[in-house]
Order: sequence, then C-alpha cells, then structure tokens
Amino acid sequence: MAEKVVITATGLISCIGSGKESHLNAFRERQSGVHYARHLRSKHIKTLLLGEVDRSNDELAVALGLPAGDNGYTRTSLLSMTAVGELLSGVDIALLKNERFAFINANTVGGMGKMEQLYIDLISDHTAPEVLKYIPTFDCSQSTEVTARHFGLEPFMATISTACSSSASALMMGARMIKQGIVRRAVCGGCDALSAFTVNGFYSLKNVDKSLSRPFDQNRNGLNIGEAAGYCLLESEAAAKERGAYVIAEFTGYANTNDAYHSTAPAPDGSGAHATMAKALAMAGLAPGEVAYINAHGTATQNNDLAEGRAIERLFGGKVPFSSTKPFTGHTLAAAGVIEAIFSLWAMEEGLIIPNLNFETRMEELAVSPATILLENQTLNHVLSNSFGFGGSNVSLVFSKP
Amino acid sequence: MTQPLYIISSCAISPQLSYDSEHFLAPPVSTDSGKMYVGDVDYHRYISPVAIRRMSRMLKIGITAGMRCLEKAGVKTPLAIITGTSRGSVTDMEVFMKDMITLEEEALNPSGFIQSTYNSVNGWLALMAQCKGYNQAFVHRGFSFELAVFDAMLTLAETDSDAYILCGSFDELTEDYYKIRDKAGFFKRLTPPNLALLAHYDTPGSIAGEGAAFFTVSNNSTGASCAILDVEMIHQADWTKVKNAIDDLLIKNGLVAADIDILLSGMNGDSRNAFIVEPLLAALPVQTSIVVFKHLCGEYATASSFGIWLAHSIFNLGKIPPAALYRSGTSTNIRNMLFFNVTISNNVSVMLLRACV
Repeated sequence: MAEKVVITATGLISCIGSGKESHLNAFRERQSGVHYARHLRSKHIKTLLLGEVDRSNDELAVALGLPAGDNGYTRTSLLSMTAVGELLSGVDIALLKNERFAFINANTVGGMGKMEQLYIDLISDHTAPEVLKYIPTFDCSQSTEVTARHFGLEPFMATISTACSSSASALMMGARMIKQGIVRRAVCGGCDALSAFTVNGFYSLKNVDKSLSRPFDQNRNGLNIGEAAGYCLLESEAAAKERGAYVIAEFTGYANTNDAYHSTAPAPDGSGAHATMAKALAMAGLAPGEVAYINAHGTATQNNDLAEGRAIERLFGGKVPFSSTKPFTGHTLAAAGVIEAIFSLWAMEEGLIIPNLNFETRMEELAVSPATILLENQTLNHVLSNSFGFGGSNVSLVFSKP
Repeated sequence: MTQPLYIISSCAISPQLSYDSEHFLAPPVSTDSGKMYVGDVDYHRYISPVAIRRMSRMLKIGITAGMRCLEKAGVKTPLAIITGTSRGSVTDMEVFMKDMITLEEEALNPSGFIQSTYNSVNGWLALMAQCKGYNQAFVHRGFSFELAVFDAMLTLAETDSDAYILCGSFDELTEDYYKIRDKAGFFKRLTPPNLALLAHYDTPGSIAGEGAAFFTVSNNSTGASCAILDVEMIHQADWTKVKNAIDDLLIKNGLVAADIDILLSGMNGDSRNAFIVEPLLAALPVQTSIVVFKHLCGEYATASSFGIWLAHSIFNLGKIPPAALYRSGTSTNIRNMLFFNVTISNNVSVMLLRACV
C-alpha cells in the first residue's frame, strides 16, 4: 500500500498579497487584486489590467535580506524565494536540511521580464559587463536553483514547464515521489513573473480582456494576466505524524492527461477535461457528488470555459459549486495551479465557497453557472482543482479533509 | 529506483548521420566551425505540408524524432510522453522577442510565442500519436533529459501491465544563442575541429551542438537490447560526490568496478571539469573501454540523450564505432555500461545500463 500524502504548509504571493489572511479578506470583500501595473515595462500597462504583485524588485529583495539594485536576481526568482520563505516560516528548516527532500518547481518563461530588457545588449558585440551575470536567468530552472541556494538547501530538484498546468504538475510529481518512497517530503509549486513577452504573447492571440475577466460568462472576452509564486509542503503521512505536524489536507487524487486534440485549443466537447477530472476522482475513490467545491481553471477565454464548463456539467450535473478565482489574481500561468490548489485547501479548511467575480450571464451552451456568492460555514470534505494548458496539458488535483 | 527502463527503440536527429543511417558514425561528420548543427531529414514523413510550413525547425526535428522512434518500436500510442529541454524552440523565442522589440509591441504574430512554449513538441506528439495519457515536460538545464528518464521510471513503476513510454529530449543551437552563451564562457576561444575536441582539455569551454533523441522505453524487456537501471543527478559536482554516486550505483546493482565493460563519457573538453574527469578516468580498471560522444554532437544541455542513443546503438550492434572509442579496455563484453555526463556548469549525471540477454 503506497504512502498517503498530506499537505502541511503553504506559502504564496500574488497581486492580492501574501499569506492566508489577505487572500481570505479579498475573497470576502470581493476585492480583485488586478490593476494597472506599476512595475512591468510594457507598452500595454496603461490599457491592460494585470495581476501584478504590488512590490518592486527592490522591496522584494530587501525583504529577503538581499541587496537592492542590480543584484543578479530576476523578479521570477524573487517571487519564488518570497513564497518559499513564507512556507518555511511555519516549518523547522532542519526538516529539509537533515533529510533529502524534493523541490519541484514550475515556470514558463524563466527570467524573461529581465531578459527582454537586456536582449539587444546581449546579442550586440559590446555587451556591458554587468549584464553578463543575468545570462543564466534565461533558464526556467534558475529560480529553482537560486531559491534552494538562498535557503541553504540541497534538494532533489526538478523544473517543469507544461504551460498553464505547470505547477499542478509539480504538486503531482512530488506526491508521486513520496508515494514511491524516494523522499518523505517535497516542496512543490511554481512561479512566474510578468513579462512583456508573455503579455504580448497572449495579447497577440487575442486572448486578453481589457476589462476585468469574466470566467464562464456568455460575454467573456479573455483573461487578465498575472504573476505569482506559491508552494506547498507535501509529506508522507508517517513523516508528518512523526513530527506532530498540523495537517491541512490529504492529497487524495491527481491526474495528468492530454487532450490530443489540437496544439493549442482544448477539445470543445470538454472530453479532455472530463477525462482528467474523472481520473483524479477515481484515484481518490470518490463519486463526483462527494466533491464539495471545484476550483475551475476558468481562464475566461472562449475555448477554455466552453470545454471546461461542458466537462463540469457532464461529470457533476450542476450539483457541485464551482468557481474560477482568476478574477481575483489574474491568470498567473505557471503559478496558477498551485495558488488555486492553495485556495482550494483554504476553502476546505475554512468552509468557504469562493465566488466567481464578474459573472452575469450564463453561457448559452451550458445549463450550469459558477458560484457567485461567497458562502461561509460550509462543510467541504473534498475539493477539486483544475489546471489546463497549451499543448492539451490537463491536470486535476483532489484534496480531502484529513 | 528499481524500475529498469528497457529501451525498445531509439531515434536521434543529430549533427551526425544518426537518423535511419546505414553508416553508424562511419565516417563521422566533422566541422571546424565550433558549431555542430543538425542536418535536415525528411520531415514530410510524419508532418503534413500545411503544418510543416508553419512549424519552426525545433518542432519539426523534435516531432519527427519522436514519431520515428515510436514507429521503430511498432508502438502507435504510448502510455505517456515525457520530454526534457533546456530552452525549447529558441528560434521561436527569438523571433517573437525581436518582433516585439522592433515592432514596439504592435501587430505581433503569435506563432513564435506559442511554439516557444516548452511543451509544444509534447502537444504535437500527443496529437499525432493520439496519446491521451500522462504528458510531462522538464526544463532543468543539463538535467532535463535525466529528469525525463527518472519520471519514465516513476511512471512505469506505477503501472502493473506492460507499457510503453515515449521519452526524449531536444535542444536547438542558434546564432544568438551561441553569441550569448559564448559570453558566459561556454565555448572555446579557439575552436578545434570537433573530432579533436578531447585533445584540447587544456582550455576552458567546449564546442556547441544541438539535437533531438527519443526512446521508446518499457517495463517489458521483449525486443530490448539494453535497459537503463538507474539515474543519478549531482548538482555542482566534485570528484568525491561523483565517486560516491558511482560506488552507490555499483553496490546497489551488485557490481564491482571491474564489471564495467564500457564507460560512456560525456566529457566535453572543458578544462574546468578536468578535476572530475581526470580522477574518473584514472580510477577505471583496465577492463573498461572508454567511449565518448561530445566530439560528435557538440555540447548542449540535453546532449546526454545523444549519448544514450549511442549507448543503445552499441548494445544493438554489439560493437563500438571506432569514431567514438577513446580507449580500449581488456573486456570484450558489452554488458555493463556506466554513463557519465558533465555539463559546462559542472552538473554531473550518471546512469547504469545493462545489456538484455
């Protein structure tokens, strides 16, 4: 019998802030963190609402005890370190130093926010010498290695990039390593900082809404892009018990499948998303009706919400409340899977159904619509969190009350 | 990890004539440029003319290597697709980045953005092979391929029935990429001819390369000439860490050093890792032959997959191509092989391979 995997600590930073309280307050106050960016350098910052973390790179660096200014760190790494730092504030770091653990990180564009500013200089014949230290920050794994080093850790490291399902995939990888007895603990999650590259990428795909995003609405018009970093500490149940750890949830189910339908678009009938959710539930040994809340991927793009909405309708028949929390944070890409997993954990812990902001009109293709009112004092024994990405990459995660 | 990965088929698209070539590195391709590029193959075999026109080079190479590999194994739809790449389609990233800068963020073509996504080859492979199962992409520099191998072992350990996984890697060399990494000290100032690379271990840097290599791996040994038994990754390696990892691998698999018939070494001519490579070579028993490959494919983050392609070819053919032989040992067997790779930033991976009898 494989080991049970539990989640015992979390850390995250988003445009709402860091920590559980600030996010729960935002959910209760229906206060989105999306705004016009102050730190990103892009032509679009005056016209596109973005989920930008409200701290400058210098503020992030100084809070981590690093020098401000031209310090060689990118925003991607600073966000990662900040979120891991928050996770570690509730954990004895010796746990991770005395025994080999896994650090599974996820990222979609490395330190692109910095590289796009330096690129012309880097390919010129006279690159300024102070720029050279940023060359390694091109790589997605830079944030992984820099974060481990910052905290004096030497884990098994892996960096995953499956577009918008990346960090959900990272959580799954850590759980699988624990179940197979390779490690007893894993810090899993992801980070992405805003970059003009990403903003322009989604903008050129005409996937971006200039006003607040409206997931699952008939008149939805695309996403608001965001940035974030988030991590969960996964432990084998035995390892958590041994140290008397508070257990937030058991990680009971997961599935990673592929649509195999189109290189970027999901199967419009939702068959891919349906298969992923069904497989994750089967692993958890749950009937669909036992799930109390679904944190949907809900990007507010035409394609995703149609496919995902149909899949939710078919599998859950309108009996389980679902919402997309992306109107609160923006779509944080590689971090989306993990921060939404953490929101799902908090929903379960606090008995909350988190509302789907900006919803007005049900989609004409669907008989179901998202939860729009915050509900408190609910009993949530099982929650499901979806993350779907480019390349047909689908991941669903199931968490259960310990 | 105890799950052997039986290699059923392999396919490499590399700077050598490795794709469906009857000439196994005979003669090897050579260049003085310090840049070893992949030669185009017939991409039409698997990709439609419409798709080919839109696809960048890395996608065509990666998709074709993957699909050819499955075809060779006679596997239509694998259980899972697991890849590793350090930088994905660099050309696409560059095109989108430069357009964004020169067009001042106006009227951009999204193709470069989409295709530069690190899992875009995975998405295409899933679509073409109709693989709706597990799909994963690792992007961890010099360990990207090793992590794909590691995850393939995890995935096969989770299944009770016979299963086949498509596992591989791809990375691309471009002019900009060379220029930038050269500034980071990746490449030799005076580039030697590739075939003489390892005679230049006295200067820092290596020569640049690129390529894709895919493997159909299984938990069923039928049709396999060899298996990967173990993979270890060592960050910021030194000789002690490497020695301990190799000793552990041998003990775990009931072997002593003299049982190693072949060391397949990813030494890259960079003087900055001589402090690892020299003691490694000095510690080898007389039995062990040394086979090398970076002079054939150049140095790139996932070059280890070309090395494993060479390993599989050696097990398949039962002989070592002269172009890859660095030193002959006294053993005439091709049974136990130790794979060693070192990257420019001194990250080391070791794998243990064994012939299937």
